[in-house]
Amino acid sequence: MQQQEVLAKLQEVFDGVFLQKVAVSRELSAEDVEEWDSLAHVSLILAVEQTFGIRFRVGEVEATKNLGDLTDLIVKRLPQG
Amino acid sequence: MGEWIRLTAGPVFGCQPNPEAGILEGMGSLLDMQTLKTCLELSSPAFEGELLAKTREAREFAEVLQLCTIRKRAFAKGLLPKSEKIRRIAMVGGSNMRPMSDFIEYFAAVLGGVSCEIWIGDYDNYHAELMDAESPLYVFKPDTVLVLPSDRRCVFSGSLTSSRAEQEEAAHHIVGELLDLSSVVHELCGAEVILGNFRLSPYSDPGAMRNTSLISDYSFRKFVNLDLGARMPSFVHICDVEFLSNRRGNLSGVDDRTWFESKQPFAADLLVDVAREFAHVLSNLKGAPKKVAVVDLDNTLWGGVIGDDGLEGIELGTTSPRGEAFRDFQRYLLELSKRGVLLAVCSKNDYDKAIEPFENHPEMVLRLKDIVCFKANWEPKSDNIRQIARELNLGVDSLVFIDDNRAEIEIVNQFVPEVSTIWAGDDPSEFAAKLKDSRFFEFRNITAEDVQRVQRYKQESERQQHLNTSTDMEAYLRSLEMAGVIKPFDRLDAPRIAQLIGKSNQFNLTTRRRTEAEVLNIIGDERYSAFTMRLADRFGDHGLIAVVIGYAREDDFEIDTWLMSCRVLKRQVEEEVLNEVVRLARVRGCTRVVGQYIPTAKNGMVRELYPQKGFSHSRETSGGVQFYELDVAQYEVKPTQINVK
Repeated sequence: MQQQEVLAKLQEVFDGVFLQKVAVSRELSAEDVEEWDSLAHVSLILAVEQTFGIRFRVGEVEATKNLGDLTDLIVKRLPQG
Repeated sequence: MGEWIRLTAGPVFGCQPNPEAGILEGMGSLLDMQTLKTCLELSSPAFEGELLAKTREAREFAEVLQLCTIRKRAFAKGLLPKSEKIRRIAMVGGSNMRPMSDFIEYFAAVLGGVSCEIWIGDYDNYHAELMDAESPLYVFKPDTVLVLPSDRRCVFSGSLTSSRAEQEEAAHHIVGELLDLSSVVHELCGAEVILGNFRLSPYSDPGAMRNTSLISDYSFRKFVNLDLGARMPSFVHICDVEFLSNRRGNLSGVDDRTWFESKQPFAADLLVDVAREFAHVLSNLKGAPKKVAVVDLDNTLWGGVIGDDGLEGIELGTTSPRGEAFRDFQRYLLELSKRGVLLAVCSKNDYDKAIEPFENHPEMVLRLKDIVCFKANWEPKSDNIRQIARELNLGVDSLVFIDDNRAEIEIVNQFVPEVSTIWAGDDPSEFAAKLKDSRFFEFRNITAEDVQRVQRYKQESERQQHLNTSTDMEAYLRSLEMAGVIKPFDRLDAPRIAQLIGKSNQFNLTTRRRTEAEVLNIIGDERYSAFTMRLADRFGDHGLIAVVIGYAREDDFEIDTWLMSCRVLKRQVEEEVLNEVVRLARVRGCTRVVGQYIPTAKNGMVRELYPQKGFSHSRETSGGVQFYELDVAQYEVKPTQINVK
């Protein structure tokens, strides 16, 4: 799956989590979204894992700084091919 | 139970797997929410029903999360009515309670029709929050407290060479602590406590020792859970995490990473199961299970059509796998009947042919004596079902209808929407499982009265016939040789009293629901005079049939609660109850008895009770509650045909 496809699928996840419309982009981070508090973050990451059928390693997500980093991480965790 | 049961066909709560999807749900097959989203966009009246349907199906975290968001949007658009039933729930535990608490609120509202305000404790601070009478938890004034201890604390910490007795003692100690905490809650604020128990470890460690001693987390927690169930008082209710985790698969319920990262108690999907269960328990605290299973015959109790295939032609019993499956389903129905669930038949058949297997088929498990009401004719099933409810003197909403024919199910859903229905499907090997997972007949405990209920309903139908032959009412009543026992509330009766309070709808003047714990509180409270009445006659024992709670307020003796089993209507029980009420009022030195009638959709039969019994109307509140008074000095004791002790 390419970066663009991942971002498009992330948009669906975001639409399911946040009440307001949040346009995903590589630069987006929690500070840009009022609803994106620590609780929303827990739910968001679990939903991302379920939607993509992947599993992050402990501490990995915490190390990401924005959606671009998360997208890279998702691509890394997706089965190759 | 609330309105929600009406909107649904079949199981509502619970972990019922979607039959079309199979038992195992895979990754990446999340529910399609498009219809729901479209309903939301168009502000369609179908939205609420669609939301309910999707909620019943949703098993995965991502699905429920999305549903929560969609519901919030619907509220913002004014598409969902604001519920008035506000329950105050405090939730504490040994892990991060969010987002689970959000899901509990969601499920309680959507599936249970109960809207909750939830107060959430700090991570792993529940001892302090529950023990300290000044803590914010008690300032919140919860009516229910959910406690979810962390299984990380439920481990054996003693010596690995300890004796079995020491290991058991350690388990008893943990249970004792939890129950002590629960008692403190109950004493400090009177709340009910819903306690999560412990899931079992999914890991192989420590091998064979897992079963030979309690030092393994697995067997230690198993023992703790059993001990908890055995010792819990009536105000404690279990959210059976062990069961839910087993059901999903212990391994898939564990996610150590989310524990380390955000102190989540379970893996995402088990989080959903446990939230669902907490919501189920709290919405049903004061509810009652269903009373009657109404079953179809052809292709439901046996394979084939009795009218066409005849006694020899139907499939039933050990001669074929299909026949065995039908027999197994009958066995489960019989088991339900032993618990006190009434069985009725509703079938499109000629009566004479329909009863033949019950009388003459060697492999039938169910016999005519097990069926309290048998309707086999060519009238619409919706009419027959209403008739069954009438004959048993029960509300139609106490009935569950089971049929293999989807069209019949849909007709009943449409014309008798109060009845819950289960579509059995076309594979009899799944019938018993479907009914077992429906959650319609879950009892907290089984009393002797439940076990005798089926017998009593049979007696009642005999009695009805007897009544038809006697014209002189007084003579008839005398011939019944009735004996009654009136006595103050008794701790031993508390489960049965709470059960009657929870399920009596028709002869119920105020319909105030109370839990067993609340009943026990009344026993200890001087201001109340509360009594029960039992009745027996020459046809059999009716058991406990009336519950009255009186409250002495200076000169007034207020009838807070008066309810009776409809089985004993027109048997002069009302007169005996009133005699006792006035006697108690006199003992208390009260000069007036004050009765009130709070109208509901179901208690129209007692609207005129007080005026009929000589009370005078005193006032009416804006909510339609009628108040009546009776002058104690003027009251004359009414003679009856009941020999009261």
